[in-house]
Amino acid sequence: MTFLELRLDLASVFRADPLSWTMAALIAVVIVTVSGYSRRYMAGDRNRSGYGRTLLLLGMSILVMVFADSLWVMLASWGVSNLLLVRLMIHKQEWRAARNAGLLALKTFSGGFGMLALAFCLLSRSAHTSSIAAILAHSKEISGHQTSLALMLIILAAMTQSAIWPFHRWLISSLNSPTPVSALMHAGLVNGGGFLLVRFAPLYLARPDFLHLLFMAGLVTAILGTTWKLLQTDIKRMLACSTMGQMGFMVIQCGMGLFAPAVSHLCWHGLFKAYLFLSAGSVVQEKRRENPFRGITLASFGVSCLFGVIGAYTFAQTSSSAFHAGDTSIVLLGLAFMAATQLSCKILDSVRGPGRALFSLVVSIVTGALYGISLRLVEHVLAPLGLLRPQPLDVFYLSGLIVMTLIWLSMNMNIAVRLQNTAFWKRLYMAGLNGGQPHPSTITERRSAYHG
Amino acid sequence: MSALLNIIDKNQELSEDAMAPAIREMVAQAADVVAPVWPIKNFIACNPLQGLEDLPFEQAVSRSAAYAGASDTASNRVNRELIKWCSAFLDEGQATIAMPNRYLGFYRVFSDLARFDRNLRANADAQKWLTALPKAPEDAIADSFKRLNIAVSDQEDFVRLGLATLPGWSGYVKWRTHWQDATEGGANPITLVDYVAVRLVLTCMLMPGAKMPRLTSTALPNDITKIEAAETTYRAALLSDLMAEVGNLGQPAPRPNAQLVFCIDVRSEPFRRSLESQGPYQTFGFAGFFGLPVRVKGYDDDPHDSCPVLLKPCHEVCERPTELDPASVRRHDDGRALLKLPKSFFQALKYNFATPFALVEMLGPWCGLRMLARTYAPLLLTRLNQAMRDKIMPAIATEPDLSDIALVSQVGYGEGALRMIGLNDNFAPVVVFCGHGSSTSNNAYAAALDCGACGGNHGGINARILAAILNKAEVRASLTERGLHIPEDTVFAAAEHDTTTDHVTMLGEDADNVHPDILAELKKDLGKAADCNRLARCATFGLSPHSCEQACEATQTRSCDWSEVRPEWGLARNAAFIVGPRELTRNINLGGRSFLHSYDWKGDEEESFLQTILTAPMVVAQWINSQYLFSTLDNVVWGSGSKVTQNVTGKLGVMQGNASDLMHGLPLQSVYAADNAPYHEPLRLLTVVYAPRQRVQALIERNQVLQKLFFNGWVNLAVIDPNENRAYHLQRDSTWKKIS
Repeated sequence: MTFLELRLDLASVFRADPLSWTMAALIAVVIVTVSGYSRRYMAGDRNRSGYGRTLLLLGMSILVMVFADSLWVMLASWGVSNLLLVRLMIHKQEWRAARNAGLLALKTFSGGFGMLALAFCLLSRSAHTSSIAAILAHSKEISGHQTSLALMLIILAAMTQSAIWPFHRWLISSLNSPTPVSALMHAGLVNGGGFLLVRFAPLYLARPDFLHLLFMAGLVTAILGTTWKLLQTDIKRMLACSTMGQMGFMVIQCGMGLFAPAVSHLCWHGLFKAYLFLSAGSVVQEKRRENPFRGITLASFGVSCLFGVIGAYTFAQTSSSAFHAGDTSIVLLGLAFMAATQLSCKILDSVRGPGRALFSLVVSIVTGALYGISLRLVEHVLAPLGLLRPQPLDVFYLSGLIVMTLIWLSMNMNIAVRLQNTAFWKRLYMAGLNGGQPHPSTITERRSAYHG
Repeated sequence: MSALLNIIDKNQELSEDAMAPAIREMVAQAADVVAPVWPIKNFIACNPLQGLEDLPFEQAVSRSAAYAGASDTASNRVNRELIKWCSAFLDEGQATIAMPNRYLGFYRVFSDLARFDRNLRANADAQKWLTALPKAPEDAIADSFKRLNIAVSDQEDFVRLGLATLPGWSGYVKWRTHWQDATEGGANPITLVDYVAVRLVLTCMLMPGAKMPRLTSTALPNDITKIEAAETTYRAALLSDLMAEVGNLGQPAPRPNAQLVFCIDVRSEPFRRSLESQGPYQTFGFAGFFGLPVRVKGYDDDPHDSCPVLLKPCHEVCERPTELDPASVRRHDDGRALLKLPKSFFQALKYNFATPFALVEMLGPWCGLRMLARTYAPLLLTRLNQAMRDKIMPAIATEPDLSDIALVSQVGYGEGALRMIGLNDNFAPVVVFCGHGSSTSNNAYAAALDCGACGGNHGGINARILAAILNKAEVRASLTERGLHIPEDTVFAAAEHDTTTDHVTMLGEDADNVHPDILAELKKDLGKAADCNRLARCATFGLSPHSCEQACEATQTRSCDWSEVRPEWGLARNAAFIVGPRELTRNINLGGRSFLHSYDWKGDEEESFLQTILTAPMVVAQWINSQYLFSTLDNVVWGSGSKVTQNVTGKLGVMQGNASDLMHGLPLQSVYAADNAPYHEPLRLLTVVYAPRQRVQALIERNQVLQKLFFNGWVNLAVIDPNENRAYHLQRDSTWKKIS
């Protein structure tokens, strides 16, 4: 084979588009950081050289995955990446709980891989090609039961990878891994599901039923993950439950046709979460206020809501012009509103002095702007792909927004303290506490069962 | 009939009244198998076999191993649920939504919530019992014994075994029960009785067939038998070095330029040696809290106890600004408030519902950049941060406010400190008290590297208080009346030694104004001493810097690198506690392995100072020594395992991975250079006292703590008798063996 032929071959198997570049940039930052961090963090560890090699292989394998144009290359790199991740998770094979956690992930990933393999078979048969670009180019012409089944299977595979309920157990049981592996996992491979959905987004945009399904699965996961996170008492499981909630929100965005914002969320969350994992040792010195929801007054909350609206408006202005209150992008506006309101309320209740109202207003505007600019940045890169297709607001989407707003409001009403004497709350608390527990076989029940 | 019932009721009450204290007593007895575990933010070193010190060392080790090894996999479910309940209840502020009604106490909350716990589902009878558990934990313990059919004679051992199964969690509860300040912990009260009651109820529910297992006596671990040989070698070498110096003692010394009093901490010794070689300096060793039982509040900090945990603070000392210009104080205060804002914004959005979704996108870009910078340019980032902090919150001068310490107490503390270390005359123009602390980044074990005598805190503020006391004219006048004359031209100053970077910071400017030349010279020499010490310390990390600048950068990078698991070696390799004048050790390179306490036997006719030294600082040294010893011997049983997979729980301690026992003790990286290469050499503490043997003998005879430690083999004691110029080694049968 000549050099030219090889290049042609490569060109037919790989393709670089804005999505690939975005994901590649994310992976590069994370891998570069995690490798540098591990160099000193793992010093003296007997498995460190194998660990370093696996880390690099994993990085390369993910890069292959994001640039793959052939279904088969993507499938293979998907499988290889997950195997390498499991290898990293089981850092010390002698430690039974770590082995079990790795096996649990492996089982979940295998299911996902099987479904993805089947989905790709079906897809390539109905589209008569294995090129993703070709399939997407003809997304309108590809139809039929086979395609629907394939798209359903892709959703399921994505759910296993991104720890969407009910496939979340592996993620909240994954903390027997070395800290940098957790950082990599939460910034890298857990996003695989989101990447997959965005990659095939044109196919889903034509099928609102699938979008609704994604929205519901994401909503359940977002609610469960976030509430479990609030109950967790150890830093790493708290971060894991938080990731689960964030993945839920990412899938919610996919379900609303907001695929570009989903990618933005996936990238920024990845960096955010990797940072928090890598700095998990600092949590001992971190000081927390007793109860952040005590002492929120109605008056300041009312004023804050007003500032929140201004914050949301700033968000709309800075993020993108495609936002209309009449479609699903209202959910993002709602989030910007909640964040801006929360901060201005915080200032009104805790800062003293005459200028605090102005300060509060400025902070809510900055909040909206920061959120908006982050989103805009990624959207701008992805613009050529046309992945921002807000769906018309219907009862599904609206009720999701209402549920999220109500939970947020009740948190601010200090519900956890007000209701703590009721049997309802106690039942709910115990259900939440048990729900967020890792798989029993991944707990180190006795000191002697640990191997360092 | 009703009268009869009344009588029966009364009888039952009576027997129950008698039962509760008996059960509490039994739990207290059984808890000897675990040692108290302090919260990690203070990280007080403790002998993991502290409750068994009444036994000879070898027996205590076997006994502890027997209990640790007796629990089998059948109890796994119980352990899992207990870990879940403990971590949720004991949380010190990690969870946003806490367990409901924690103020009621552990057992009462458990008995209220357990019926909603689907993991505890069992047969109808057990379920019925669970929904109506007795009100008092003692009753629940008695009921559980009945349900499990544990014979009365086995009950204590059964409880002991339960406590030994998760020694970290039960040890933490032991700390909460016996050691925590009574005014704290009201938000989630817990006692060992609560803990045992919950453990037994869980056992009834999940492991109803639990039997009292047979304890098999285990052979002494191989390493333990090896220790003795290593100790003999080390002792012989150290004593022969010391004996070579005995002849030099007692020669009159010229007045030094400065005298510096360091903490007894083993890290002070190499630094003192480096400093002494720079010029006419004399150094002393004293417990780093400088004898002050105080609770302190740094101007920008929260208050904390700054004295050994064996003491209760008697005074509260706050720092106040000395700045006369109110505007600069206000600027500083506003700056501090401003610096706190971002963190509070972050928390307001992070620990909430829905708002975290927006938060991650707002901060994502920032986190990405910061993550790269912290990994690849930690020193630069730290310097930028510091420069920015100084800009926003310009430093102001402060001084300790002594108003809570009566003058007579001040005189007492001043006199006690000086006489204890034998600094009675020949005062230098400048006397510096030098506390110490560490500076590390992203390190859950930061407190383990700080001053143990200050309760796991930095000791600079204690140094400032003592210097301020001794600079007061009234105090000096009273001291003169008591026969301790401090020359007019002597000024006391305070400093703090950063053990991670070897940087010494002078605190306050009193001395600069009195002896500017000496101070300038001293600061320069402290810098040179630091250079020396850094070079030596770099070698222990396997680094070979080519210049002092490189060594400086290497240690500073270690100090601020978030991925560094061995920022410094702490007290690793500690082996000896030497009580005597510095002349005895001044010419010897002790390799940073010795606690050095200055002591002059001639000024201690009644052995009261010696008694204090051996029962307070030596006990602290022994706790530290045993912690390093046991964490090295078996890092899984007594240490906390690898930092790589640790997970901070409840802000109070660490677990391994998803969930585990509360891993107390030191992490692998603190005592091992690599997984299979111990850095610490496990040796029991060797105490060497330079004082007449009869005096030491008399002291031991009237002190039970010392008898326990020496005769049970927890500490080795050697005495160098100045009258005979001979060294003796105290045997476990209380006889003395002549060494040389």
